[in-house]
Amino acid sequence: MSDEIKSGKEVIDEFFAEIPNVEGVDQKTVDILVELYGQGKLTDRNIQNALEELKQAELNPRKKQGNGED
Amino acid sequence: MAKIKTINIFGIRGVKDLLTLDLNKKSVLVYGDNGTGKSSLTDAIEWFYTDAVQHLVSEETGSTRGRGALRNLFIHDSDNGYVEIEYADSKLSSKKTINNSLQSSHSNTSNELSSLLANSQSENLILRYSELVKFIIAKKKEKLDRLQDIIGFSQVAELRSLLQKNGNSIARNIKSANYDNQKNVQQSTILENLGRNTHTDEQLFAGVNELIKPLKLGVEIKSRQDINKVLKQIQAKEDTVLLEQINFFTRVWEALSEVEGNVDSIQKSYEEYHRSFIALQKDPEKIKKLQILKLLKEGHAVLKNDVVQDDYCPLCQLEKSKVELLKELNERIEDLEQLAEEKAKLDEQGEELKGFVKPNVGALDNLLKEKLFRKEGYEKLNDQVEEIKKSVNCFTDELKKELIESLAKPEDIEIAKKEMAELAKQAQETAKALTESQSSNIKFQIFTKLDRAARAYVEYRKIEKEQDVLTKQQITFELLYEDFIKRQEEALNVFLTTFSEDINDYYTTMNPNEKVEDVKLVPLKKNGELVGITIEYSFFDETKTPPIAYLSESHINCLGLSFFLASVKAFNKENKFFILDDVISSFDRSHRARFAKLLTDKFADYQVILLTHEHEFFELVSSDVKSKGWSITNFKWSKDSGTGVEKGMLDIKERINKKFESRNTDGLGNDIRVYTEKVMKEVAFNIEAPVAFRYNEINEKRMAPELLDAVHSRISKKGNVLNQIANIPRVKGMPMFIGNTTSHDNDFNESIEDLEVMWEDIKATIHTFYCTECKKFISVKYFDNVSNKIRCGCGKLAHDWKK
Repeated sequence: MSDEIKSGKEVIDEFFAEIPNVEGVDQKTVDILVELYGQGKLTDRNIQNALEELKQAELNPRKKQGNGED
Repeated sequence: MAKIKTINIFGIRGVKDLLTLDLNKKSVLVYGDNGTGKSSLTDAIEWFYTDAVQHLVSEETGSTRGRGALRNLFIHDSDNGYVEIEYADSKLSSKKTINNSLQSSHSNTSNELSSLLANSQSENLILRYSELVKFIIAKKKEKLDRLQDIIGFSQVAELRSLLQKNGNSIARNIKSANYDNQKNVQQSTILENLGRNTHTDEQLFAGVNELIKPLKLGVEIKSRQDINKVLKQIQAKEDTVLLEQINFFTRVWEALSEVEGNVDSIQKSYEEYHRSFIALQKDPEKIKKLQILKLLKEGHAVLKNDVVQDDYCPLCQLEKSKVELLKELNERIEDLEQLAEEKAKLDEQGEELKGFVKPNVGALDNLLKEKLFRKEGYEKLNDQVEEIKKSVNCFTDELKKELIESLAKPEDIEIAKKEMAELAKQAQETAKALTESQSSNIKFQIFTKLDRAARAYVEYRKIEKEQDVLTKQQITFELLYEDFIKRQEEALNVFLTTFSEDINDYYTTMNPNEKVEDVKLVPLKKNGELVGITIEYSFFDETKTPPIAYLSESHINCLGLSFFLASVKAFNKENKFFILDDVISSFDRSHRARFAKLLTDKFADYQVILLTHEHEFFELVSSDVKSKGWSITNFKWSKDSGTGVEKGMLDIKERINKKFESRNTDGLGNDIRVYTEKVMKEVAFNIEAPVAFRYNEINEKRMAPELLDAVHSRISKKGNVLNQIANIPRVKGMPMFIGNTTSHDNDFNESIEDLEVMWEDIKATIHTFYCTECKKFISVKYFDNVSNKIRCGCGKLAHDWKK
């Protein structure tokens, strides 16, 4: 067997190390995925929860400007 | 990498008494008849490594993972069953015990062992016959899954599916939310109240400044905080009731307009669902086949999970090879795959329709929670909205229908679009009329318009932002998915190419000159997606696939074995041993010899534990593997000790003596007969007593009377004195050697006293041939030419022997 063969884990590790550089991606979404993977918590439910949190944070960042400010 | 020095097993599966296998890092060929418990060794090692025995899991429900059947039933409750493995690296050695409550523990709690066990989970340590051909006859998708599992690509496949699933889910949410429609509804409200469309803060402030001009407040709106201040400033408490009504009708107008704007998408989605549903339904054969597909898949799962272990069809109960059954099922399931895809598409369309209907029903539910609906005078409006909700919800009822039921035609579903539009218009007009009811109250009118426009603008921006966030997420998942599949395919292709080379090498080593060449694993794609793996090979320079259509069972087994061995080389990084448990059962003679050669030549640096119940194979390869440094061991089974290692004559003699000590006659006559047979084989061999020619396996099955005759005949010609002392006729005349060849069938009812006498006579006979000093038999190879004596190794035992 040649040394070129990568294990599944190597393929995934490389992917997560390099995705912030993929052109056109949303960095916040990428950060979420990288963080979940790093914590060993990359599951369907955790992704959906984190994306929902991200959405809410984007919709209601900090209510600096009073009621209804975005 | 880990090699094994010794394995000790006690109270596990068929092993009752301690079984010790001294391997000293060497490969071993283990022979044992069926039922002698060879697989106890395999099960014990599997449990040691994985805490489960997979083939027992399917037989046992609950969370014990096969451990219930692991402990030997006959060991004492207070005894712990255990497997102790001493490795060449002593830091790894451990004794794993299981108590009567099925709790288990390792004696070695070091990080070294934990790491070995954790990393071994992805290694291929054991191949049983039942698993040998699973990969070869598996469906294409299963091959891909299995291969990905073995090479640690399951995680890769999971991540790929996770990226795709989340990307699709976000796309579906965007589509079903129909953000453009939502934004249009809010813009209508803004237009109605500010008299202009407003997409930015600047446009909003300009519109608001224009609106509040008649109030001459002396303020210029520059922020949304300014708008809130003005609203607070001009709001009058006495207007609250009227304002509540205006807001209510505005809500009704907005909610109904939003749902109305989604009706076309819902109907279009239903039309597509209906089309696919009818297409499947039109062909009664398809419905039948779909039901058969369910049955076939269930049957496939039953066979694959070893619920049925023997070779028969669980449905018709007829005898049939399990491998053949699986092959047929796989072929039939693959034939129906196109149909399964059609059904999957229909289900997907159903999910999409659900995604459209659900938020709209939700919006109407929220609307119906408005307080004013509970007040007098609003009952009719409440009923009208309820009716509209019911008409939207009827799609959900249609989605519950089975293929054999009748699905409503799209034109027959009366979605109350017209009623929605009318009611929305009425609500809008009512809100307007209520606002204008205070035409003389400019402040009130401006407050109402400003409040509604400001709320609509905030809502508009929120919708716009949500759409933007979700679109970015969707694009990100799409880009990541594209990037990932490239990486996955690249890595898989590198693997398949290299892996195929090994498989081809092993296969052609076992099958030389058969014109089957270039065996390789080939990825299959559909619409750019990796959907499976097939096996290709060239036969007389023509490419063939799949192998099951052209190869014999023996050749398919060779492929399965080649696949396993290639996996061992590729992925076993921690353990330098592997177990092959009865894998050669359906190999023909030529394959068996080459298989042994493959192991000794190409896996010389590995520790192979090769178990077989095939005596012919054992005979065929034992001398060859022994010359390559392998150990040879026989397994036996006894009622008292369960599975154990056959130690030969000494072992039987020890058993006989124990039985005499405990006055136990059970099987004692048989033990004496077996012992006599073994000793007489040695005697016959050493004095060169001729026996009739027999072929290999049958040659080994010579019974005591024949051997005694041969020895008697030989010594009566060669040594008169020896003939008299040995007194073979006395032994041969014993009841256990007369009549039937096996003691089980002999009707001789022995007493312990009779047996003691016989045993003493047999020992006396044996002692005329066997020297207790040098522990060797008298032999022609020690023949003394000068004194014409046949003697033992040390010369203390000697008898006259004619030249």
